[in-house]
Amino acid sequence: MNVTSPFSIAVVAITLLAFLGLPIGLSMMAGSILYLLLAGMDMGTVAEQFLNGMYSNYVILAVPLFVLAAEFMNIGSMTERLLGFCNMIVGRFRGGLAMVNVAQSIIFAGMSGSAIADAAGTGGMMQSMMTRNGRYTPSYAAALTAVTSVIGPIIPPSIPMVVYALVSDASIGYLFLAGMVPGLLMAALQMLQVGITARRRNFPVEPPVPLRAFPIITWRALPALMMPVVLLGCIYSGITTPTEAAALAAAYALFVSATIYRSISPKAFYAALFNSAKTTTSIGMLIAGSLVFNYVVTIENIPDTLRVILTNWELSPLGFLIFVNVILLLLGCVLEGTAILLIIVPVFIPTAQALGIDLVHFGVVVVVNIMLGLVTPPYGLLLFIVAKISGAPMKSIVKDALPFIFWMVACLLVITFIPDIVLWLPRLMGYKG
Amino acid sequence: MISKYVAIGAWLRRRAENIVALMLLAMFVAFLLQIVFRYVLNLSIGWTNEISVVLWIWIVLFGSAFVVRERDEIRFDLFWGSASNKSRRVMQFIAAMALIILFGASLPAVIDYVLFMKVESTAYLKIRFDYLYSIYVIFAVAMIIRYIWLGIAAIRGEPDATPEQTPPGTDA
Amino acid sequence: QDKPALKFSAVFSEQDIRANMMKMFAEGIGNDFKLEPYYGGTLFKQGTELVALQRGNLQMGNIAPQDVSKQIPEWSVLTSAYLFRDAAHVSAFFASETGEEFKKMAEDKLQIRILGPTYFGARQVGLKPQKKIMTPADLAGIKLRMPGGDAWQFLGEALGANPTPMAYAEVYTGLQTGAIDGQDNPLPNVKNMKFYEVMSQIVMTSHLVGYDLLTVSSSVWAAMSAEQQKAFQAAADSAMKWSEEQHLAQEKALVDEFKAAGLDIYEPDIAAFRKFAQDKYLNSDLAQSWPTGILEKVAAL
Ligand code: NA
Ligand code: NA
Repeated sequence: MNVTSPFSIAVVAITLLAFLGLPIGLSMMAGSILYLLLAGMDMGTVAEQFLNGMYSNYVILAVPLFVLAAEFMNIGSMTERLLGFCNMIVGRFRGGLAMVNVAQSIIFAGMSGSAIADAAGTGGMMQSMMTRNGRYTPSYAAALTAVTSVIGPIIPPSIPMVVYALVSDASIGYLFLAGMVPGLLMAALQMLQVGITARRRNFPVEPPVPLRAFPIITWRALPALMMPVVLLGCIYSGITTPTEAAALAAAYALFVSATIYRSISPKAFYAALFNSAKTTTSIGMLIAGSLVFNYVVTIENIPDTLRVILTNWELSPLGFLIFVNVILLLLGCVLEGTAILLIIVPVFIPTAQALGIDLVHFGVVVVVNIMLGLVTPPYGLLLFIVAKISGAPMKSIVKDALPFIFWMVACLLVITFIPDIVLWLPRLMGYKG
Repeated sequence: MISKYVAIGAWLRRRAENIVALMLLAMFVAFLLQIVFRYVLNLSIGWTNEISVVLWIWIVLFGSAFVVRERDEIRFDLFWGSASNKSRRVMQFIAAMALIILFGASLPAVIDYVLFMKVESTAYLKIRFDYLYSIYVIFAVAMIIRYIWLGIAAIRGEPDATPEQTPPGTDA
Repeated sequence: QDKPALKFSAVFSEQDIRANMMKMFAEGIGNDFKLEPYYGGTLFKQGTELVALQRGNLQMGNIAPQDVSKQIPEWSVLTSAYLFRDAAHVSAFFASETGEEFKKMAEDKLQIRILGPTYFGARQVGLKPQKKIMTPADLAGIKLRMPGGDAWQFLGEALGANPTPMAYAEVYTGLQTGAIDGQDNPLPNVKNMKFYEVMSQIVMTSHLVGYDLLTVSSSVWAAMSAEQQKAFQAAADSAMKWSEEQHLAQEKALVDEFKAAGLDIYEPDIAAFRKFAQDKYLNSDLAQSWPTGILEKVAAL
């Protein structure tokens, strides 16, 4: 690629502006305008892509609503009571609460197909639980929230897998099943790393809660503990779609706080709305910025370049999978997940098929890859979001996230090279592949 | 005299805050109505869908223009965090200039696009798209004005307009 | 010197039959133009291609007639239920005098040149519940997912069902959990989106013949010589014809495939559905904008 091409200049400009401290969403928009200017194209496209991209992305609305749900839980005493309950169970273990953060993401994964919703919503609540009274550093809580929310779209339901099924012709049902084991494996590895760090950094241990206090603490936390049960019940009995479940979560949290815990004042209610709107604005600008930049990447026709490489290199199946991993991890640094699935992945499908790679297996590898891109610097959407929520500096968040990223890459390699791990559950349920 | 303008500005900002909070409340209510209508009453109402997406766009653009301060935006703090006050002024000045020039350059084309959209309306509520999308123009103009102000602040060396990250837990 | 590039945007994926159609077309116009296709709605989102064409950011598109009717209300008749019998009927219409009038309308008002219809399958009602459906009355109370927008929702009502809007990406999970009872898409889409995995039956209502419009912007069209225009149209015609044949064959094969997968597939009382739907349409506001006598004219083709 030519270094003086409009595309290269735009990429440099975005990087530079972001380093100068301009908000990232605005940096991407400004860089995209520069591209359109240099390429002599209609600069009105920046508005067109921003507005139509946001207008057609209905499922993203789960994000503001889960943020609202978490706010309601925080101002009601739900978070407080949940914290009490978690401490009762795992407080005596080193890093117990951090492990709860992993478990929270596994539960949340069953409700949502969006990692952003997890990180900004329930994950944000976990973050405030972990940092209360200085139990954990803000950067560690933030890093852990970011890496655990990646589990969301790997365990079903999953929007990225639906999109992958569309471009690959693989079965959604089997893809969903195939995500289970890798998702749980990743969670187990994260738990392991929490354990390691807990020892090394000597994480706090809470004084054991006497057994006679158990019933009352559980009772006080029960309505909050029931929330995932209620939501999963509503999704799997067809009362709500996964996107609508976000609104139901907020309604439930509001209801419990207002009627059972009686801890919500009109003023606090307004504050919850306002804070959620502010968070929504910041996250929305980030998403919109990447929507605008996606247009630039699309028009540059990167798929054609990739196609040429694929035909010229004559890769072996293993070589091909490694190549795909590397390319997707790199692209994940600059592109948003759905865009990668729609623009880049279709290029790989024919080759994967020709090499005899199972398309369900390949789909899980692709989705895990894309999710990893959300937490790998420099452009890790989830890292930005947790940084915003925690207020911790990016540098320390990245430092705390690195050991986890190492395990996640290891997990990616394992599922890449041992398809049986991925395909075991689908085969058990009748998948012939 | 000046203090009067400051007071008016503060009053306007509070009203803007009320508006975004209300928009989020409306989105929340629209979703609940949708669930109730489909599941409980077995009636479908498509406009809730539409109103939610419209509100989503308006919250983000209106919020960015009038509510969220510079320091609340999601940004990259790797260099900013370790820079001296003087380098920060230089950084802020360059970033502001770039934004003013690029957003300014795109403004005529953006206005042209938004005006063009009068040919279409939304599917249920028949809101004309030029009205609906006009918020983008307002946002773009607000960004240009804000960064002119930030650029001037950087030259005059006024107390840095983008303070340190807020401490955890205070403003999440 | 470089041939002029034509950016083309479509919602269908690169694996779709229609992507091959575009490949054929690109070869057909290869002497005069270089086609740059973008699939999967990646360049312009679904429904936004028309404005992109009008504003000169796109030279070619695969436009839904529903999108044309947003700007030309008369066009809504071409999106109504049971207007066309099958793919051949659609082609015959666009080649007819009345078809030319509609194309002329689009050319005058939108500055686009319509090359012809691209058929992608007849819409069929696919359901999760096993209830036998013979007439519109049998669909009463059934939550049928329809695309968003009141024209689409009206189509659902015209079938006698209870139309429910839902994002396309959520339909699979919606069927799985029972949030919706069914969806109405052509069989190839049912295959692409794997809806058959979570349905028990397909009622072959064929209520709407699915087609889009292969379209080029008027400015590109006007810049061609008469000879180039003729070659351009001919390339489009043969590619569209090929694609239509492929789709018809695929629909036939899919019926067998879905049957083998255990789905119940049958034809309901089509006459009852047609009468119910046409009465609904004629008594609606939509029909106000329809040219007089259009239904008869089309039916006579
Ligand atoms: Na988590
Ligand atoms: Na999930």
